[in-house]
Amino acid sequence: MANPAPASTGGIAITEHRLANGLRVVLSEDHLTPVAAVCLWYDVGSRHEVKGRTGLAHLFEHLMFQGSANVSNNGHFELVQGAGGSLNGTTSFERTNYFETMPTHQLELALWLEADRMGSLLAALDEKSMENQRDVVKNERRQRYDNVPYGTAFEKLTALSYPDDHPYHHTPIGSMADLDAATLEDARAFFRTYYAPNNAVLSVVGDIDPEQTIAWVEKYFGTIPSHDGKQPPRDGSLPEVIGREVRELVEEEVPARALMSAYRLPHDGTREADAADLALTVLGSGESSRLYNRLVRRDRTAISAGFGMLRLSGAPSLGWLDVKAAGEATIAQIELAVDEELARFAAEGPTTEELERAQAQIEREWLDRLTTVAGRADELCRFAVLFGDPKLVNGAVARVLDITADEVRAVAAARLRPDNRAVLVYEPVAASTDEEEQAA
Amino acid sequence: MTAPAMTFHPQPEPGTPTPWAFPAPQRLTLANGLTVLHCHRPGQQLVAVEVLIDAPLAAEPAGLDGVATILARAFSEGTDTLTAEQFAGELERAGANMEAHADHPCIRAVLEVPASRLERGLTLLADALRSPALPADEIERLVANRLDEIVHEQANPARRAAKALYAELFPADDRLSRPRSGTAETVHGIDRSAVKAFYDAHVRPSTATLVIVGDLAGVELPELLESTLGRWTGDQAERSTVASVTADDRSRVIVVDRPGSVQTQLLIGRVGPDRHHPAWSAQILGTYCLGGTLTSRLDRVLREEKGYTYGVRAFAQPLRSNAEGTGQAMLAISGSVDTASTAAALADTWAILRTLAAEGLTDAEREEAVQFLVGVAPLKYETAGSVAATLADQVEQQLADDFQAEVYRQLAELDTAAATAAVVSAFPPDRLVTVLVGDASVIAEDVKALGIGEVTVIS
Repeated sequence: MANPAPASTGGIAITEHRLANGLRVVLSEDHLTPVAAVCLWYDVGSRHEVKGRTGLAHLFEHLMFQGSANVSNNGHFELVQGAGGSLNGTTSFERTNYFETMPTHQLELALWLEADRMGSLLAALDEKSMENQRDVVKNERRQRYDNVPYGTAFEKLTALSYPDDHPYHHTPIGSMADLDAATLEDARAFFRTYYAPNNAVLSVVGDIDPEQTIAWVEKYFGTIPSHDGKQPPRDGSLPEVIGREVRELVEEEVPARALMSAYRLPHDGTREADAADLALTVLGSGESSRLYNRLVRRDRTAISAGFGMLRLSGAPSLGWLDVKAAGEATIAQIELAVDEELARFAAEGPTTEELERAQAQIEREWLDRLTTVAGRADELCRFAVLFGDPKLVNGAVARVLDITADEVRAVAAARLRPDNRAVLVYEPVAASTDEEEQAA
Repeated sequence: MTAPAMTFHPQPEPGTPTPWAFPAPQRLTLANGLTVLHCHRPGQQLVAVEVLIDAPLAAEPAGLDGVATILARAFSEGTDTLTAEQFAGELERAGANMEAHADHPCIRAVLEVPASRLERGLTLLADALRSPALPADEIERLVANRLDEIVHEQANPARRAAKALYAELFPADDRLSRPRSGTAETVHGIDRSAVKAFYDAHVRPSTATLVIVGDLAGVELPELLESTLGRWTGDQAERSTVASVTADDRSRVIVVDRPGSVQTQLLIGRVGPDRHHPAWSAQILGTYCLGGTLTSRLDRVLREEKGYTYGVRAFAQPLRSNAEGTGQAMLAISGSVDTASTAAALADTWAILRTLAAEGLTDAEREEAVQFLVGVAPLKYETAGSVAATLADQVEQQLADDFQAEVYRQLAELDTAAATAAVVSAFPPDRLVTVLVGDASVIAEDVKALGIGEVTVIS
């Protein structure tokens, strides 16, 4: 049966420019809604951090909101929100992004603000901001990781998946000890090294006049000096498979047993990565997936079971399995079933119907991501920074639809195997909380 | 700095704003009595559909809290022609997402589907609502999963705080006082016959409303809906009535002991005006000034000055509303602070509330808040899903279709005194119930010394 494709997953109009100082600019015009998104990717992430200073890229991202030469402490937030815009920044292994989505008539303000901090952050950065944001980030770490069950699983699995001295061995949040150790001079040096127009891509998407927009970009960013102080990140390449299973048992006060594994997968941007994404989708995304049907519906050993993919371009990607056990089911039972399903899939590959479903799901996710101007702006930066060409966004869905069942089977056979994974097993320890739960 | 400096320019002035208004839906009624609100949003290729089913939690039979949730989840467990696995497969093949959840006012089923596969998506949604298989073995599994889920919720500080606050605020015989998805005791008693009986009693098109938003160009909507949702049949019935809400907001502190917590989860709340109240818009504005963002009064001190938290927010969340205006919203301040700073953070919070009551908001902060709340609307409602959700909220709370549009008109005209009056009345320092989920052995004594209410430690 025909499975008609959504109407517009391709065809974003894109123009590219480069300022004399090296800043790459990507524009995309769309007048459906009177809003414009500004997105700025700096080519720096936690992979650029050095030993003893984990978390610095993310802490630094916070400092970018603490004022610059012409912007007061927190002025960035006040001015953008006071103009009816929304904004934020995020830090990952491979990049740091900053974004503002503005009503059309306030676009120029966002450009002025981004330029001011790119060119003059150090004029405002002081010890007080540093101490305050260090405390805020430590509380972010507590809230998101340390105070919730399984909260540090991501950190533990990442550490198991990449060797000790590998740039992706630690996660962007960093350790408490390293956050405590970071100094104002570290932050200054970080800015001088990585925050430069020739280490960034700026995208502006939405209800814009491209000529006017590029004139504003030239006006505000054009005189920011470029510099070449940047050190490339340490090499993240690794053998295609780990070669043995790495395992850690965690005995903690968690509500239920859990099995989490990370499989080493192809680098983002390759055809094999798209094939792996499809394999993980068939196996573990949504309620029609093989692992959900097996573990949750049939065996009833799990309350949730799913695969996700952490796409990485500078190191092997990770395929992320997360299974929370049901009732008294054991990890051994669950692992046996997972391994059976992986082996069967490696032998047989996806059925025609499964492949079609997985492709439809990935297509919908793209549609979702590209439906907002902010989503489009972020994707344009992503393709420009990581793969050198923002126009690659227009072929993203077509590339996934082009993958064959045999390619999906092949990548599963090569990668989704016990000797290519790090495994984290959670066993709850009896604690005083057990009785409390009855009483609450 | 050694590098040559950049050239600075004055902060730019804004251009001319483009007029924008919250979209106005149109209504129609299908032959089976289903009310439809539809709204064409050009370019929105992901169409959002919400169906509001008149099955409020208050209608759950005594002792069966959670049956509405199990029914909502069972909608995607197969139909008269598809098994549970087939149904999930068909949805995904359409690139669609469907989920349903039960809350105090109603059950809401939400579908998102690419416009090119709208008919297939609507057919699956219609089949799920008109003839769900409700298979006994899948219901048994959903019940078992829900029991496991309760254990996970107990471990989550934010969920635990909410559970404790609702139990404190509302009378024990009001459904609001008990967890939306039931407790272990009540969920144990749910089986297929209970779910089927609840379905038979409450799920029918004549009391339901469907909201559909997206790029509907070229879609013959009445025909498409008649041939899909129109096949859903059922008797005529009166819509349920919505009971008024009362709450006990005498100031007191409940510490939910969570030994070893590195942070304390704060939830400080009471009830107050919902969207029917004339002060709603002023309350939105004032509450934003108190705790809407990191430059609001709470975070300006707790986060940006003291570093006690990653962020604290104040908000108003309607609980149960009716056209008569006897409903209420939950008004609350929520966030988490490092354990050692618990008492200090609470002391600062009360100082901020007292200062606000004594001195009021400034014109500048009112102006900035209005600019944000009104200015951000086109962005907030960029997607079909966000428009559909707000239209569905309006239906659920028995509001007029132009309610949200009217809120934006009001916000632009409010003065500072009105915003101050609303937020001071919403968060009186001596009428707040404080729930703290954290390590009682470390925090309880210091909190007692604050004088923000009698402290009770529960486990």
